[in-house]
This record gives sequence, structure tokens and C-alpha cells, in this order.
Amino acid sequence: MSATDADLGRPEDLSERERKAVEAQLFRLADDEYVQAERYTFWQVRSPTLESDLAISNNAQDELGHARLWYDAIQQLGYSEEDLLWESDPSDFQHATFVELPFEEGQWANAIVRAYLYDVAEDIRLAAVEDSSYRVIRERASRAQGEEGYHVEHARSWLERLAADADASERAQEAIDELYPYALTLFEPVGAVESDIVELGIRTQTLDEMRTEWENRIVDTLSELGFSVPTDADVASPIGRDNEHTDAWHSLHEEMTSEYRDLGRDSATVIMDPEDE
Amino acid sequence: MIVEEVKAQAEPRRFTPKDDMPVEYRKAATRMLEFHANSEIMGAYLERPFIRRAPSLERKMAFSAKTQDEIGHGQMLYRAAESLGIKTREEMLDDLANGDGKFLNCFHYPMESYAETPMIAFFVDGAAMRRQATLKKSSWEPYAHAMDKICFEEGMHVKHGESILRELMSGSKREQEMVQDAFEEWWPRILQFFGPTDDQSTHHDFAAEVGLKVSSNDELRNSFLNRYMEKAKHYGLEIPDEPRIRERDDGTYDVVEDDLDWDEFFTVSQNEYDGSIEQITGRAQAQEAVQWVRSMMDNPTSTPNRSAQAAD
Repeated sequence: MSATDADLGRPEDLSERERKAVEAQLFRLADDEYVQAERYTFWQVRSPTLESDLAISNNAQDELGHARLWYDAIQQLGYSEEDLLWESDPSDFQHATFVELPFEEGQWANAIVRAYLYDVAEDIRLAAVEDSSYRVIRERASRAQGEEGYHVEHARSWLERLAADADASERAQEAIDELYPYALTLFEPVGAVESDIVELGIRTQTLDEMRTEWENRIVDTLSELGFSVPTDADVASPIGRDNEHTDAWHSLHEEMTSEYRDLGRDSATVIMDPEDE
Repeated sequence: MIVEEVKAQAEPRRFTPKDDMPVEYRKAATRMLEFHANSEIMGAYLERPFIRRAPSLERKMAFSAKTQDEIGHGQMLYRAAESLGIKTREEMLDDLANGDGKFLNCFHYPMESYAETPMIAFFVDGAAMRRQATLKKSSWEPYAHAMDKICFEEGMHVKHGESILRELMSGSKREQEMVQDAFEEWWPRILQFFGPTDDQSTHHDFAAEVGLKVSSNDELRNSFLNRYMEKAKHYGLEIPDEPRIRERDDGTYDVVEDDLDWDEFFTVSQNEYDGSIEQITGRAQAQEAVQWVRSMMDNPTSTPNRSAQAAD
């Protein structure tokens, strides 16, 4: 396997250039999952039915679990959870703006469209790092991949339901029109590290290739369901990846870290195995 | 079956939907199950802000999982309630939204701070565990059966709550003070969790006679106090002087009822407390906002302008 031939080795074996590229890839994976999960949890105890509440909670926890895998990989490079999540600035985060957009009560069609656009992109990205030259990414990607398949199915079956109803399909179409330019932020390149990520085999596809595949997949599915996709739209701004975020992220981050600050904490709890307690 | 036969035959898990139960039994069982299911939902609603605010990634995951478990418990209990043929789940959820549905007193008080979370997740859930463990012996089999799974998960929740309490109480002085303040505020409500003393409880007699309920309010309160006063002290909390709690010679406790605010308790029970209105209205608005989704699921309209059809 070519990826193994070019294996970058252990965290401590990385050159400065390799390390920067590995970090850039890991931060995108981790921050996207973390913030997407956070927004999903908005729907806990607010979903239309008990069943849909349980399902979206599952997705939130899967994504939180993936975020933990990626943040753990970042911690192997010398960071701590405190640095990453609790004592950092909102502008330290590199997630795409797409995942930070807030929901309002009732915007279920928006939640489903967002889940669908995200889950397909995540599926493609995980496939692109499955053969990563960095072992930690390679191994963890395949752990996360199994769950992402269910997520795509979940979102798709909801889209089918929405498409079959006049009012609901209008809501979904509005969400597609609104979210599409933001979804493109997932594929935005940032700086010179971009070419390194691919040249060093950390990811085996370029962002352009991933975006093309994503666009083909979602246009196929959505047009089959009777929706139109504004494929000529420009990418939304700010993009997030370059640390420029919307106000919605700043206030979300403020809220997420409020108790840590109010309690005067200087460390984040890692829960021990309940057996050990 | 007439009520007298039910009383004569009552024993753990004796009756199932196959039995022809008298309407009095079915109504009493529905009342208990609906109250219990509503409490799961409103408990989840109370804790949901702390999914976002939890001060560590793993605590966030635990709060999300716990909230999800409560919704799952609500789902199971509504199903067990529906099996009695008195009310549908939709009716029960509608009543909860419009303020007619009743639920546990402690879930009428919004939480402001993370330091309050162990009041629910440790003390109230611990109290609920006491009650729920006895309901595994309920005469209505679907109720008892639901309790098997629910008790298992509640056990995990109490551990989660205890872990947060332990952490806060071994944290900074400020954290310890915040928890002590929260404890003083919540302790009377927690004592009222078990309701009025037996001689003042209106619903106990019939439910006990037909085996729906197997322990009295007093027995459950005692069993809770036996364990949790010690736990509270162990983690460094001081038990407030009032309400006065006297230990009797037989090791049971006498809570001085007059030290508790029963006017507030009954206002809460009627969903008329400020906190009740805040919690019920907040959840009702969220549910109303997605009414269009439920309507669509019940009755999808055709979309002539689109090629898609309902998936099947």
C-alpha cells in the first residue's frame, strides 16, 4: 500500500512541515465535528417527535465521539483539552462557517438539509483520509466511517419525507438555497499547507476533487427528489477555515465556555471508566 | 375483572394488556405512568442547557446521553401507559404542552448554574431510583417491565451526578460554596419529592391496594434519607437546620412537615408556579414550532410540482 510506504511515522517523527500539515487536517476534522455536534444538540428535547429526538441525539453523540477522537490525536502533538476547547479564543477554531450557523425553533427542514449536506461531505472526507500517510488519521477515520454511513441514510430518508409534502418541500428548498453557499466553506483551501496535505499523502484527494464528488452526489439525490441546487452560487463569507467566523460562533463559544469560566476551572474533566470510580 | 378481584389477585407483574382490567385500575395506572413519563420529558428539558454549557468534552457527552436516555424513558413509559387504553400518547403529550399534564415537583425549578446540576442528577435521580426500584414489582406488567431498563440507565445517571458532585466538592472554595448554596435551595424540594406524608396523600390507598404501587411515600423518603444524608455529608455538604429531620428510635426519620412550604408544593403540583409556567411554556413553544413536521407525518399532501413520492 503506497500510503504505508510513505508513512509519516509517529507524532514525534514528524518534520516541521509534516507536522503543520497533519495539524491542519486534524483541526478541520475535529472542529467541524465538534461544532456540528453542538448544533445538533439544539434539537435535544426540541425535535418533532420522541423518535426523531432520539435519532438526532444519536448523531450528536456520534459526532462528539469523533471530535474526541480527533482532539485526542491533536493532543498527541502536545496540546491539551484546555488549550483546545476551554481556554482558547473563538478565532482559534478552524471549522467551516457552515457548521456554526444557528438554528431557530421549528427549522427542522434546515436541520435535515444541513445534516445531509454535511454527512455526504464527511463521508467523502473520511474516505479521502482512510489511506492517510499519518497512521493515527488512517486508523481513526475507519472507526468514524461506519457511523457516518448511517447518518447519510438518516438524513436522506427525512429528505424523502419532506420532498413528498408540499409545504415541507418548500421549507427544504429554502434551506437548500440558504445553506448551499455555506456548505461550500467545507471545501475552502487555506494557505500553503493545502498542497502539503496532499503532497505528503495525509489526504489522498484534493479539496477540488472532493467538492466535485460532493456536488455530483448531492445534485443527483436532490434533483431526483425534485429539488433544485444553486450550483452557480458563490461560496459564503466568512469561511471559518481561516479563523474568520460569524458572530453566531462567537456567542456560541461564549456560552459553551461560560461554566468553565464561572467555576474558575483550570482543567477539563476526563471521566474515568465508571468501573474505576 | 372487578376491582375486588384485582385487589385479591394483586402481586408483582400480575396483570398484562391481555387481562380485562376494570376502568378504575386502568385509570389509576394511566395516571401514574403518564406522570412518570411526563417527568422524564420535563427532567430532560430542565437539564438540556447543560449539554451546551458542560465544562468538559466528556461531561458534554454525558449530558447529551443522559438527556437522550430520559427521552427514551418517556417513550417507553408512554407506550406502557397507552397499553391501558385510556389515553393515547398524542393526548398525553398535548396535555403536557397545554399545562394539564402533571410531573414531579423538582422539575418545575429551572437551574441557573452548573453547580446545581448534581441536585437533579444525584439527589433527585437518587430519590427517583428509590421509587423506581420498587416499581419493578408493580402489578401492571408493562410498567414493571419498563422499569427494568430504566433503572439500569438511571443507575448510570446517578453515578454521573455523583461524579459531578464529588468533583465540585473537591474543587475550589468557590465551587464548594456554590454547591452548598444550591443544596440549601434544593433540599426542601428534594424532601418534598416523595410527596406529603402518607396520612395526607390522596392517591396512595387505591394504587397500593391494586398493587400498582408497592411502597408508601414515607417508606421511600426514609430509604432515601438513610442513604443520601450520609452521602451529602461525605462529600462535605452541610444539611440545613430546617426543615427539621428527627431520627426515631427505630432508625427511621421524621421530617417536620410544617417546616416545608406546602402551599408552594401544591402550587407547583397544579403547574401554577412561576417556574412551572416557564418550563411548560418553553417546551410547548418548541413543540409548537415543529407542529408542521408532525402534521406532515400524519397527513402528507401531494406535491404535483415535484417528481418525488413518499419513500417506501
